[in-house]
Amino acid sequence: MNARIKLSVLLVAIGILLAFLPFNAAKSFYLKPTELLLKSVSDEIYFSVDQVARFVNNEDSTIQLIDLRSEEEYKECNIPGSINIPFADLLNPDWEGYINQKILRNIFYGNGDQIANSAWTIATGLGYENTFVMKGGLNEWYKTVMLSEFKGERITPRENVIFENRFNARKTFTQINSLPDSLKMQFLAARRLKETQLDGGCE
Amino acid sequence: MNKIKSLGLIIGLLLIVLILVIARTSNQNLFKQDAQNAIESATKSGNSISLVELKNLSEEYLVINLNNLDNSNSTQFQNSINIPFESLLEKANRKILNEAKGKIILYSTNISIASKTWVILNQLNYSNVFILQSEQNPEVFKYKFQPDTTAKLE
Repeated sequence: MNARIKLSVLLVAIGILLAFLPFNAAKSFYLKPTELLLKSVSDEIYFSVDQVARFVNNEDSTIQLIDLRSEEEYKECNIPGSINIPFADLLNPDWEGYINQKILRNIFYGNGDQIANSAWTIATGLGYENTFVMKGGLNEWYKTVMLSEFKGERITPRENVIFENRFNARKTFTQINSLPDSLKMQFLAARRLKETQLDGGCE
Repeated sequence: MNKIKSLGLIIGLLLIVLILVIARTSNQNLFKQDAQNAIESATKSGNSISLVELKNLSEEYLVINLNNLDNSNSTQFQNSINIPFESLLEKANRKILNEAKGKIILYSTNISIASKTWVILNQLNYSNVFILQSEQNPEVFKYKFQPDTTAKLE
């Protein structure tokens, strides 16, 4: 039997084998269960609301906040700079470019901890890197950042730094969320310009 | 006969491919579910159960307490077993999960752990798994944002 016939038989046989394999267009987890569990037990996947407040104040360009709540909830108020990817829409191919990338650190948040941790597990299971969770969600943000106040006569330098960080983040949150949607982007641009001028730089 | 002999190499290759395919599809240590299934199950049908619902549950269930044994805040339930999150996938614990009848209810003092466990089990094809919510729905926003009506572009 010549080589050409052998090759043809091999290709036909592989074709038949593939044809009988169950077709699976599903997106299954890339990590093994034990690998995912190992990552899941780590506390390194969490950022505190104070850390996120600092990112907001610094307009840190290495992070991407992802609000997993519904569009209505997002429109009512959200952490400045965040994008809205409702949890139900997480695997929509339109969002894959935002979630599956290696440059920015994605920080998920919901109102509490449940959906953010579910989203983290799904994204990490699919092999998406740089994925984190804001611990406590927007409820914790509100309790710690928005409602924080200092009571007492003396404030230590450390307490002062924490309070100032929260105060600035609260101010940005309130200012931006009080504006109509169309003005929010303009506000951020104006604030950036003002800071550049204060630093003595130029546009 | 000669023809069959000359096909030996091809048959051998096909057998190897077939064995690899069978080994992969029957491997218990891989996720095979569609990830979208986790999202749909969590959003459309709901994956949580309240303390009151648990109390009134008439069908069989098993509560999996995911806390570490030394966690003194952990509540005790009827029909419960302790499987710390870290050892969820150990052989003995997988056996318990496989043999569980009725609903599997995940409990942890930290809802994050229960959420992550739920996704892992859902993707390992365990159906009928629920998260026990000790408080009212934690995904409800507890506050009301008060806009600053004087806010303007500076």
